[in-house]
Amino acid sequence: MDELHTADDRPPWDGLEGTERHAVCVAAAREGNRDALDVLVTELNPLLWHVARGQGLDRAAAEDVVQTVWLAFLKNIENINEPKALVGYLVVTTRREARRTWTPNKRETHLSDEFAEQLESNTGLPEDVTLMDDRDRRLWLAFGRLTTRCQELLRLTVLAGRAEYRAVAEALAMPHGSIGPTRGRCLNLLRNYLETEGGSR
Amino acid sequence: MNEIDPRDDRRGLEDTAVLSELNRLVDELDPPPADLVDRVKFAIALESLDVEVARWERAGSFAGVRGGQTGTITFTVDNLTLMVNFTSTGSRHRIDGWLVPAGEHTVEVRVADHQSSCTRADDGGRFVLPDVPAGTTQILVHLVNSRGEPGRTVVTPTIML
Repeated sequence: MDELHTADDRPPWDGLEGTERHAVCVAAAREGNRDALDVLVTELNPLLWHVARGQGLDRAAAEDVVQTVWLAFLKNIENINEPKALVGYLVVTTRREARRTWTPNKRETHLSDEFAEQLESNTGLPEDVTLMDDRDRRLWLAFGRLTTRCQELLRLTVLAGRAEYRAVAEALAMPHGSIGPTRGRCLNLLRNYLETEGGSR
Repeated sequence: MNEIDPRDDRRGLEDTAVLSELNRLVDELDPPPADLVDRVKFAIALESLDVEVARWERAGSFAGVRGGQTGTITFTVDNLTLMVNFTSTGSRHRIDGWLVPAGEHTVEVRVADHQSSCTRADDGGRFVLPDVPAGTTQILVHLVNSRGEPGRTVVTPTIML
């Protein structure tokens, strides 16, 4: 942040990447380094957001879930023994938190995998939908027709494909270079919807 | 930049293409709110990290207090319930609250870029902060036990007032 910093007071995570960087930040945050916490929040917040949204939460609920997860993380920061597990911990905690928040039709049920499987989700489109590229619009509509379970899987798939979130793939045991049967089925459905999404909407 | 399942059959290539587009679209069409990171940073900038998080209990719909409306929000954690009613007084707010179970706990309202406001709940668990600035707001309850000794601190996620 401060361009006048000299090499000596560079933060210890400077120049590090991925899990190594996060691990150093966790260690520094435990020692009370607020900048380290801020680095973690800045870099991992989009991941938490997409995980919460992938559970079918609306944007306002997803915001609260993300905040709750970070606050809970503070309390548990001493207990995260395996620094490489940070991303996994955050993803798992966000999913759990999202599910307990999710109350379909005012029922106090938590979103189970089985229910998410059947649930047609409503992803919504931005208000300036007319400004969108037609192919983008059709793909997003098709994506929105998938079950919440499929949407989450595909969101996690693309996130795990990003260099900065590689730990997601490890945390969720999603190996590179292979698409399991469930993801394959979701992708087939997505392509089918995309083909029928032509002039009907 | 993206290494998504580089299978080399035709369907694999189609999958890869669709996933690449999706990768772009989730950021373009569903990005986190621009100020969410700042709000999270504010929410976790606490003196003590040993806090319990109270969750916002939405009654049925997800419609909550956003952007200067009047309304009641209920937060719960373990066996503590915190009900807060916000009444707008122009650019500021009156906060009426109720803690169940009751106790003479200290209630702190943090508003971004302002000083915290503090009060103590009465023996019925009620508290009033008549004049709180608007903005990103977080409520902390510093619990005391029956002998008046300090105990846990409960915090809420931030709300936009």
